Amino acid sequence: MTRAAAEIIHEYGPFDDAGRVNGVSYDGRQVWIATGSSIKAFDPADGTVRKSLDLPSHAGTAFDGRHLYQIAEDRIHKVDPENGRVLATIPAPSGGGDSGLAWAEGSLWVGAYRDRKIHQIDPATGEILRSIPCTRFVTGVTWVDGELWHGTWEDDVSDIRRIDPETGEVLDQLDMPAGTGVSGMESDGGETLYCGGGDSGKVRAIRRPKRVRG
Amino acid sequence: MDSLISAAAQALAAGDPLGALNRVALRDDPPALALRGIAMARLGDFGRAKALLRQAARSFGPRAVLARARCAVAEAEIALAARDLGWPTKSLAAARETLEQHGDRANAAYARSLEIRRMVLVGQLDDAERGLAELDPSPLLPAARTIYELIVAGLALRRLQTKTARSALERATRSARQARIPELQAEIERASSALSAPAARMILRGEQRLLQLDDVEALFRSDRLIVDACRLAVRQGSRIVPLARRPVLFALARRLAEGVPDGVPRAALIAHAFHGKEADESHRARLRVEIGRLRQLLHGLAEINATRDGFALVPRRDHDVVVLAQPVEDENATVLACLADGEAWSSSALALALGASQRTVQRALDELASSSKVQSFGRGRAQRWTCPVVPEFATALLLPAWSSLD
Repeated sequence: MTRAAAEIIHEYGPFDDAGRVNGVSYDGRQVWIATGSSIKAFDPADGTVRKSLDLPSHAGTAFDGRHLYQIAEDRIHKVDPENGRVLATIPAPSGGGDSGLAWAEGSLWVGAYRDRKIHQIDPATGEILRSIPCTRFVTGVTWVDGELWHGTWEDDVSDIRRIDPETGEVLDQLDMPAGTGVSGMESDGGETLYCGGGDSGKVRAIRRPKRVRG
Repeated sequence: MDSLISAAAQALAAGDPLGALNRVALRDDPPALALRGIAMARLGDFGRAKALLRQAARSFGPRAVLARARCAVAEAEIALAARDLGWPTKSLAAARETLEQHGDRANAAYARSLEIRRMVLVGQLDDAERGLAELDPSPLLPAARTIYELIVAGLALRRLQTKTARSALERATRSARQARIPELQAEIERASSALSAPAARMILRGEQRLLQLDDVEALFRSDRLIVDACRLAVRQGSRIVPLARRPVLFALARRLAEGVPDGVPRAALIAHAFHGKEADESHRARLRVEIGRLRQLLHGLAEINATRDGFALVPRRDHDVVVLAQPVEDENATVLACLADGEAWSSSALALALGASQRTVQRALDELASSSKVQSFGRGRAQRWTCPVVPEFATALLLPAWSSLD
């Protein structure tokens, strides 16, 4: 396992009338954040909010290429990003103990905060396909380049880690500075991981380290 | 932080404690316990609230220092709301230090404002004023900011600084609007009504008039000689002769003031000050002694001259003397008047000051307490009584950033 300090490249927010960031997603152009009562999209180039949909949003957010998925209380809503309409609803696997949300390989991946797990679920039914054990409270979850990353936040300490999707073994760990939590996470598909900062209302861009391959 | 905790916290912030409870009622993890505790406090069940917060703090474990500190602050807030003023202040101070060390400025400032609020309630007004002057309210979130402004207003009301009180209440109104908590708005309205309600009755040459607080303030700033039955003192300008602990002297001063410019017969003074039905020789001797004492205390403010059948008060600068009384004088008014100095009194000190038996004073205190005009803290010999002229905000329980209890 490699371990290093997280490198914060940029900070966004806090955003107008959004005290918190509960979840983060990226649709290829804009970063989406869940603020509790809305989902907002901001432009990562300048941080300006381009869109805001009034929807309950208490934890993770994900994007499948066409739709947003948003955890609200103990359910996951499938949302049309154009008009904010809820198209479908499935139960969240931890019944409200859910945190992060990611889309990959036709599945949704849901962080089970206090259970220290990541569930892979069927996005049509909510059925749990398998569960990956983690060693700390799980917050944000994201897939990039076949790597599974998740955030942790426990006892006022936060970090970001890459784990083995089969065993849950920690492969890389990036420690967040004291006082900066990670409440949601999404990769931009490249070298950046966008991390929600909980009740700081901020989003932080973190550099994803290049893995030594082979 | 998980989804339902976040949803419950959001409901609590929006003034919906039942909505918060619905979401976490069946959960026993530490953040859920803490939120349930705060929700129960908002619903007025302080006993259950305290137990839940204690349980939350215990189960957070030793490494979650911030979460435990926030629980301690919430517990202190509940104790204040329940008027349990004897609770250990050390744990609140320790929690505040922890929050400061970890950079949680909002909650640290909030903890400090609770410490100051307690000082106001137990009558440590000078300490409270110093504390307020040193506290930077800028990190406070809207709800906590509103409570801070209510404390400023309450202290200013006690000090009869109506302008300061009014502007603090205006700032409170603005931040309460941001906080969107109906209870806070109601509390501001309650505090504001103290500014327009009749605060005292002015008696001048037999004529009576009701005064508002700012009228009283203006009267105190004037150069008039005032016999203040609200706070048991004689005052003119900056010179104040406190008589709260000399009730007989105050009774004489008031009766004499009401008799200006004519004198007051001995018999009337004796009946009024000593509650003596008939003025015998011993009463006359005692009256001479007491008048002598009063004369000394009022030296420079007024003379007390002997008349053919009694005594007459002759103000030095003015020809008149104003008597300031409570709008409605109930039979426990003297107890209230003692407490109106803002200090914390023991019942034995009150009995001494009023020349009444402990039993009488205790009965008066019990009556006043049942109509919420006075409140007590401590038990047994350490029990102290205060008169909360300060705005009440028992229902304003809200820990800023309590959503990060995890």
